[in-house]
Amino acid sequence: MKHYLDLVPISAKIHKKQSRMSIFCIVLAVFLVTTIFGMADMFIRSQILQAQQESGNWHIAIRNISNEKAAIIASRPDIEVFSPYGVLNYRGNLGYTLGGKNVAICGCDERYITEIWTDQLEEGVFPQTSNEALVTENAKQIMGVAIGDPIAVETPDGDKLNFTISGFMNNTASIMSGDSYGIILNTEDYCTIYPNVSDGEPNDYGIMFYAQFANTRNIQGKIADLKEQCNLSDEQISSNNNLLGLLGQSRVPFLLQVYLAAAVLFVLVMLAGIMMIASSLNSNVAQRTEFFGLMRCIGATPKQVMRLVRKEALSWCRLAIPVGISIGVVVIWVLCAILRFLSPEFFKAMPTFGFSVPSILAGIVVDLVTVLFAAYSPAKKAAKVSPLAAVSGNANDLEPARNAANTQLLKIDTALGIYHAKANRKNLFLMTSSFALSIILFLSFSVTVEFMQHTLTPLQPWTADLSIISPDNSCAIDKTELDSLKENPVVDLAYGRKFAYEVPSVTNGIEKKMDLISYEQYQFDWARDYLLEGSLESVQTDLGTGLIVYNSQNTIQTGDTVSLNIDGQSEEIQIVGILSNCPFYSAADVGTIICSEDTFEQITGESKYTVIDVQLVKGATDEEVYVIRQMVDSSFTFADERMGNSSTMGTYYCFWLFIYGFLVLIAMITIFNIINSISMSVSARLKQYGAFRAIGVSMGQLSKMIVAEAFTYTIIGGVVGTVLGLFCNKLLFGMLISYRWGDAWTPPLPEVAVILLIVVISIILAVQGPIKRIRNMSIVDTISAQ
Amino acid sequence: MTMEILKVQDLCKTYRKGEAKVEALKKVSFSLDKGEFAAVVGESGSGKSTLLNCIGALDTPTSGHIWVDEQDLFSMKEEQRTIFRRRNIGFIFQSFQLVSELNVEQNIMFPLLLDYRKPDPAAVEEILELLGLTERRHHLPSQLSGGQQQRVAIGRALITKPKLILADEPTGNLDSKNSQDVITLLTQASRRYQQTILMITHNKNLTASVDRVFRVSDGVLTDLGGKTNEALS
Repeated sequence: MKHYLDLVPISAKIHKKQSRMSIFCIVLAVFLVTTIFGMADMFIRSQILQAQQESGNWHIAIRNISNEKAAIIASRPDIEVFSPYGVLNYRGNLGYTLGGKNVAICGCDERYITEIWTDQLEEGVFPQTSNEALVTENAKQIMGVAIGDPIAVETPDGDKLNFTISGFMNNTASIMSGDSYGIILNTEDYCTIYPNVSDGEPNDYGIMFYAQFANTRNIQGKIADLKEQCNLSDEQISSNNNLLGLLGQSRVPFLLQVYLAAAVLFVLVMLAGIMMIASSLNSNVAQRTEFFGLMRCIGATPKQVMRLVRKEALSWCRLAIPVGISIGVVVIWVLCAILRFLSPEFFKAMPTFGFSVPSILAGIVVDLVTVLFAAYSPAKKAAKVSPLAAVSGNANDLEPARNAANTQLLKIDTALGIYHAKANRKNLFLMTSSFALSIILFLSFSVTVEFMQHTLTPLQPWTADLSIISPDNSCAIDKTELDSLKENPVVDLAYGRKFAYEVPSVTNGIEKKMDLISYEQYQFDWARDYLLEGSLESVQTDLGTGLIVYNSQNTIQTGDTVSLNIDGQSEEIQIVGILSNCPFYSAADVGTIICSEDTFEQITGESKYTVIDVQLVKGATDEEVYVIRQMVDSSFTFADERMGNSSTMGTYYCFWLFIYGFLVLIAMITIFNIINSISMSVSARLKQYGAFRAIGVSMGQLSKMIVAEAFTYTIIGGVVGTVLGLFCNKLLFGMLISYRWGDAWTPPLPEVAVILLIVVISIILAVQGPIKRIRNMSIVDTISAQ
Repeated sequence: MTMEILKVQDLCKTYRKGEAKVEALKKVSFSLDKGEFAAVVGESGSGKSTLLNCIGALDTPTSGHIWVDEQDLFSMKEEQRTIFRRRNIGFIFQSFQLVSELNVEQNIMFPLLLDYRKPDPAAVEEILELLGLTERRHHLPSQLSGGQQQRVAIGRALITKPKLILADEPTGNLDSKNSQDVITLLTQASRRYQQTILMITHNKNLTASVDRVFRVSDGVLTDLGGKTNEALS
């Protein structure tokens, strides 16, 4: 021992258990902060990867500019990639076909394929010479073509455009869903074949320029700068809101709400970490103060005591922070590995052993600062102890009781337990706050589950793998088509819908267009969870009734009668309920009414379907889908939605893993935190409990005392946590859900029950250890130690 | 007719620390009658506190028997023994062991409260008066002097009217005036309530007031008889 500060490691060795508990709680807090922030970081990274793959790695698209202006923009140092891109017959309505199917003809530069879209080129090369084309992979399977083969695109005029295949690119969800092909030409070839062009400016070819900025900081500033310098209007610029949103660069109001919600959750996690450390360290104040009092007694100055405390706190951090961070990093690696396994097509680019630097830094800074602050207060108290108090053995009684316990109302053991919990106000505040924060965190994060369910449609039970669609959205698919599909063994469910689009209507004197859609039994059953008010039974059984789908501009209420104008005839439909959501998007200012098939037939006279949706059994192969495709009348569009679904499933897995990961983590932290806090609180009173036993308190009574103390923290923390947790839940629900979907907030009772149950179970587990410790404790040793 | 309240027979206590074996008590046997006030003297580490802790059921002997009011202490289960101790043995510690969260009155009533019994106000009043603490009944231990705290501890030992009171150096932390007061109180209790008292002390002046004196030396107990200051010196 060369320096008085060397006492710290020696003392730590002797007070191993006490040090271990302090280290454990710091580890927990570091783990919580690192893992939650790390998970959020990895979640955003994975979503950026997916967004880049799904909608391209571009930030803005500019339309209606001249080639000269495009060249100027492309040469700007803040622009990394700037490529033209145009598409002809995107919606399949212009009459360009390849092998009898609609074909979308795209024109772009090579960098668009290699840098804006990565991993799109499956085989071969981008068209290097004139009349070469990249073709989507589905053509390879359906048309049986290979690289070097000629293909001929038929124009609406009946002419043939001949190309040689230079390579194949991946199918896109829209190509598969639209049952069409896609080909990519270089920009010159594309412009050559574009019809009816007079001026020759990019806009005449439907060309937009896609820009990727060199770095993703302050993109909004760069856009504003670009607009000003190049005289661009708001209408000329479109943003890739999905990607910008994930990069934290979006100005879309809904995403701003999401950022705000993330900020609230961020603050809550930080607070939870801080509270956990502060409450745990505060619990063992008594023992540590005694030790520092002794130091004062043998001649240490208050400054030296403070230095000792700082050294002790830092020595805990030296071990606890790396351990907490390591566990957090490993947990994130495991989650990323699971994600790669679940959805390799999107997340294979996720690093195997990635580090989230912001989360590690957050873990270190938050905990170091908290530990030093939390340790500072007992140290200050210890430094104030007069050496006389310490030498007379009264250092331990630094905080004498302020008033006597109330033994009138409750039994003595329970009264003392409650008194112990309430004796030190700061301790009570920190303990209950740390319990309450766990509950608040759980209730706050549980909103994200609801958010996930609203955002991701494949989660909806009605999501179809295949859709057979009447070509002009008319009611043209006969019921026999549905029956034959139902008999196919790979078809799990098949159900049809009839549509009448944009029917003029009048309700309460207000004119509005309505989409009228029919449901059958399955779809009504699925709609049950979305019924905001009214009756599903009435709409199924009573002819002439319907449900209105919620829309923020909607004024139609349950009980209103909507007059629909069908081919000049007025047909009335009575609204018997409101649905919060439905699987269809209506055009702007168009409402949606859902009715039964019979009502639809009665109102419109149509008995055939517009759409038949098919859900396949698990593991259905492409060949089996091909057989179904052959079954269906070729005049109908055969939309294969599996690819789009798998993309959303990727997002879903990602959301699911991280959101439930957060919740499990919070639950686990709650359990560990409570067990550790109670254990530390009991440890601080261990001597007193020994004395209690000496003066005749039985083990049963001591157990009751500890349980009463623990439940005092639980009840106060539970009440405060539930009240504030519900407040946060409502606030976040408003930001994330009501704002977008209009759902009314209801108290999340199952979630409240789950977290309170976790807390109560934790308390029951938490008191076992200390009770056992007291039982095994020698009374004689305890008394003689005083 | 005398009545035997405490009987100790062949009591042995051996501590083992690794290879080392320390015999703290070697076949100690003695008994005390009702109302007897006995003192145990001996050097530090002689085994007197071990003896008291074993009799008070705070520690378990290696072998031998202890009967308190004809009940074999160590044939009982832990919980049962604790309750028996609470009701029949009053303990007075050198460091008082008062409950800091309870006031004087509550501390005195504490053993009754532990038994979920309603204290008799007259009995509490009587003890407070005997101890001279009536004025301070609502004070917390931290507001009392050492002598007052020890008086509260004595009150707590007396409240259940135990048959046996064990006092481990009750005056160890007190000045001579307070020490004498404590001994006077204990003597009064012994006389007034016919309680048997076994007290450890270093202070040979205090043995003047007791009926019998034992000496413990290297774990062996010797009965020095009654009021024999000469023998002690």
